[in-house]
Amino acid sequence: MDSNFSHKVWQEVELSRMVKGGIPFPMIADAGGKIGSMYGVYDEEGGVDVRGRFLIDPAGVLQAMEVLTPPVGRNVLEVLRQLKAYQHHQKTGELMPSGWQPGKPTLPPGTQALARAGHVWEIWKVENAF
Amino acid sequence: MGVMVGKKAPDFTAKAFHKGAEKEIKLSDFNGKWVMLCFYPADFTCV
Repeated sequence: MDSNFSHKVWQEVELSRMVKGGIPFPMIADAGGKIGSMYGVYDEEGGVDVRGRFLIDPAGVLQAMEVLTPPVGRNVLEVLRQLKAYQHHQKTGELMPSGWQPGKPTLPPGTQALARAGHVWEIWKVENAF
Repeated sequence: MGVMVGKKAPDFTAKAFHKGAEKEIKLSDFNGKWVMLCFYPADFTCV
């Protein structure tokens, strides 16, 4: 939302003291909430973009999103987990069950998974979600 | 307006602050890479 001048001041005054060299990625100035409106996260009443997070794959397809109201911050580890899960899926076709983490079991690709309907319990346990 | 998972993310062009300077950013410039697009209400708030 804020201007690039504001981004610059934030970077210099605070962020560069949290992260060596400052934040390495581009900070967009979303003037008037134009981009926020396109993504459905612009709050016209408050005049701000709420905490929306969008994971976009190399083909430009939106794969995952999360939107929070302002008081609560995001979980970076969850975003990274989703990124690794989508990357694994796109590479192997395997399905990524609830709570998947690198090294945990996956489910076989599409058609085989259908054949297994009603039999997932044999290969995936509830404990795997945690 | 909104967006939908499994569909193309809407492309946009905007001015951004990056590595000490202002530059123009286009979402489609990042084709071929994973992108995390984050919105937040204001600078000097938690993210």
